[in-house]
Amino acid sequence: MKDFILLLPEIFLGLTLAGIIAGEIGYYGEKVRLITATALAGLAGAFVQSWAIYRHGDALVWGQDLSVDALSLFFKMFFILLAGLTIVASIFTKEVDSNKRAEFCALVVASTLAMGLAACSADMLLGFLVLQFMNVVSYCLAAYGKRSSLSTEAAMKHLVLGSASSALFLFGLALLFAHTRTLNIYEMHHVLQSNPIPVQTGLVIFILMFSAFCYQFGAFPMHLASPDVLEGSPTVVSSFLSLGSRVAGFAMALRFFVVVFAKPVLEGGATDPSSAQQWTAIGGFQWQQIVALASGATMLVGALLALRQSGAKRLISYLVMAESGFLLMGLLVLDQSGVAALLYSLLIQLFALVGAFSVVGFLLDEIESDRLSDLHAALSRSIPECISLILFLVCLVGLPPFPGFIGKFVLIGSVIHRGWYLLAAAGVITMAISTAAVARLAFSLVRNFKDAGQFQWPRWEPRRVYLMALLLPLLLIGFFAEPLLAWTAHSARFILW
Amino acid sequence: MAGHLISLMIALPFFGAILQALLPPVGGKNSSGSVTRWAALLSSLAASLCGIVLVGSMRQQVPDFQVSETFAWIGSYAISYDVAIDGLNALLVLLISIVFPLLIAAESNRKSGLRGIQALLLVLQASLMGAVCAQDLFLIFFFWTLSSLPIFFMIGIWGGEGREKAAIQTMITSAIGNAFLFAALILIYYSIDPHTFSLRELAGGKLAGKTFQILESEFSVSNVAFAFFGIGLAFRIPIWPIHGWFTQVAREAPPSAFVALGAVTVPVGMYIFVRTTYTLFPETVAQMAHTVAMIGAVNLVMGGICAVAQRGLTMLLAFVCLGEVGALLIGIGSLSSAGVVGSIFQALVLGLGVAGFGLFAGIISDRTGKTVFKDEDGKVAIGGIASQAPMIAVVAGVMIASLLGIPGFGGFVGRSLLMIGSFSVHPVVVLFGGLAFLLATYYLFGMYRTVFFGKAVSEKSSDFMDLTAWEKAYLVPLVVSLVLLGLYPKFLIELVRPTALTLLSTIK
Repeated sequence: MKDFILLLPEIFLGLTLAGIIAGEIGYYGEKVRLITATALAGLAGAFVQSWAIYRHGDALVWGQDLSVDALSLFFKMFFILLAGLTIVASIFTKEVDSNKRAEFCALVVASTLAMGLAACSADMLLGFLVLQFMNVVSYCLAAYGKRSSLSTEAAMKHLVLGSASSALFLFGLALLFAHTRTLNIYEMHHVLQSNPIPVQTGLVIFILMFSAFCYQFGAFPMHLASPDVLEGSPTVVSSFLSLGSRVAGFAMALRFFVVVFAKPVLEGGATDPSSAQQWTAIGGFQWQQIVALASGATMLVGALLALRQSGAKRLISYLVMAESGFLLMGLLVLDQSGVAALLYSLLIQLFALVGAFSVVGFLLDEIESDRLSDLHAALSRSIPECISLILFLVCLVGLPPFPGFIGKFVLIGSVIHRGWYLLAAAGVITMAISTAAVARLAFSLVRNFKDAGQFQWPRWEPRRVYLMALLLPLLLIGFFAEPLLAWTAHSARFILW
Repeated sequence: MAGHLISLMIALPFFGAILQALLPPVGGKNSSGSVTRWAALLSSLAASLCGIVLVGSMRQQVPDFQVSETFAWIGSYAISYDVAIDGLNALLVLLISIVFPLLIAAESNRKSGLRGIQALLLVLQASLMGAVCAQDLFLIFFFWTLSSLPIFFMIGIWGGEGREKAAIQTMITSAIGNAFLFAALILIYYSIDPHTFSLRELAGGKLAGKTFQILESEFSVSNVAFAFFGIGLAFRIPIWPIHGWFTQVAREAPPSAFVALGAVTVPVGMYIFVRTTYTLFPETVAQMAHTVAMIGAVNLVMGGICAVAQRGLTMLLAFVCLGEVGALLIGIGSLSSAGVVGSIFQALVLGLGVAGFGLFAGIISDRTGKTVFKDEDGKVAIGGIASQAPMIAVVAGVMIASLLGIPGFGGFVGRSLLMIGSFSVHPVVVLFGGLAFLLATYYLFGMYRTVFFGKAVSEKSSDFMDLTAWEKAYLVPLVVSLVLLGLYPKFLIELVRPTALTLLSTIK
């Protein structure tokens, strides 16, 4: 019975999904609003339940296959919030037809269910399956703009590379299983401790699995399709995918790499492994170096390519890629402050990216183009939207006085603390380059401000309220960095070695 | 209580800026309304009043912080909100307090986008004030980088023909500069245990002897961080040869933005350099002082030579600025009390002089519609203003006299202190400095002769209007303060000297 209570958020999401589908099939009245409301209510319910369980404590449920701990609940709440914001954003855009919104809600809720499970799965096969579930749903979401060839192309690329990455994942998992004879990550950890894996095998397994995860992060060697996917999908979907599937990847990777390929460092005679503040790599090779390489390359490639883009959506997609590089820093330092900084940065990205993409979606609706050269004088047509776009983006890239900077500072700091000076230098350079990229975008909005005349885009107060509702927490995250960092540090706990 | 005044001084302009977005467009003839106009001016003035009261109530002969306010901000990373005033930054507080209300007053007759430019100026005032008062490296960095944004928007939106290029160039250079500063910041933070950003805790050679490793080779923290600080700030204040963006700004920016940059941001940048490097790396400063003075000399000479060739008022001002930055660096690099005190005093006087110059240049180009006073073949484009507008001529005369260091004006005191202090240490550099000043007399008076005395060029300049009452109201404070500083500098110098001596005593 306790297992069911701890899994209430998932069960609730599943019921909501069933309700949406049943409503879509069986009810012919005014179903659009009803279904949107159902979806939002279901998400809100699941959020409240997750919060209640977060306060309750950690546990392994269902034969140790799912780990309901602070970390997975943090991610669960993150995904639920993201899904809610996405569904609300879909009301404001013309890209999602209002008579198709029921399907959209169903897909988003299904994806959220999968992402939530990915965050808590402690069994690799289950993890693989939910990851596939999530990816299949996201192929459908990417193809949602059926009339647009870009959208179809995005979905196709996503599908092809996604299948390739899942093959890599499975192959790595098979090798790991052959050695450890178990699929549970905590058991794998114990087996690897008592019976170390040969270095070469370990290296191959690590590289295969890490490449598969890199596809989820949109990180360096596997980044090729991700900007295309984000550019081609309808804008609401871009914001959902840029956070959802990427962060789900991080949620799984954190648990998987830290549990399987690392062990806790116990200081001062402490005996409780779950109280460890930092971890050290096992398996006979320093896999952090591979991650560091990917991290540095991802950041620099992402930022440099962002600088060269001529489309707003694609520019933001490359900025997202650079951000993945920063997040990898939090993974490779293997200590609690790094993970806490990663989670903190994720919170900032949640609001910043959803906001930025929703303004870009608004611009796309109004001028049917996101070329930087077509955006001229947008600022004078609609000041609040454009100013908030600029603010969202500077928060994202961590321009110093804005909240994103504190996240970047802690990430870079924790990397320096471990002596990765070159990586830190790459991070600082990336910040400068991405600022320049954002300046280009900001600039094309500001340009021709004086000669735009009196022509104004239609005002719509609910959208402005929505943007304010995103901007306000974003700025507050900066002011209340201290309690939030404490909260994320508290969430960065893993249990049961 | 006094501590709250500092915070008030930083917070009031921010509130003013927010008010610009919220207040309804009521009253007045133009679309922004006179309510917002007065709200901007009053919030800036109120902040300035706090600043002037603070500086005026300071005791002389006290080297320590006289007023401060502190509380923890991000405690787990030892980041605190720590603002304080001592002799070193009091003059900069005064400079910001005097210049910004005048800039806002000067902009308040703008037809379009008044709210925007006022809000940006207010944000700039707050951030520069914060950067000057902050005693925590993180906080200094926070405010200093924030100050680069308003300039970008002011150029990009209200600039001249080539505003796009100028704005983007400014943004990129300041992003690079900020990246260097950030690198220095992290390096310092992690090289000391327990980690801290507080200047008070880092003072006293705590960083001496610390090293770090990259690829098997060892570097000294204080040397690398000093270099990063120097380079990072050089991207934000014009240092030859990375001054290209600055002259672009001079050509394209609206006058108030350029004044905010040249008259306030530049002195503040110099101050941050002195405050951080003297406090954090006394040993490195002792070794590198010669280099700093040399860079200063190169700047002074290059600024002078380039200024001779200029035909535009703001371009001339830009190179004057470049040269003066060189003079300040010579004083800073001398490591003598007279040199350092002279530099700090000169930073204030320079700021006031540049502000005055920029404002009257703005008025002239506004009335004549021209930005150059000689066209490409050397023919006079603006001339003979003195007979039609004697008040402008007088104001311009005072500004130029102060920039040149003619006795009786503030510039004289600062410049002579600076040169006297440096002569014993770098005689050759000072000699070059003297030559550069002779050159300055030539080009500044050459400009003055052409623009004010020469023949009036066209019918348009024959109906050149003299200063209006509003313009007088915001130019007179500048003239008065420059004269006062020239006649009775003792109060301010006695404020600076004890603090400068204490700082210097840690270096030797």
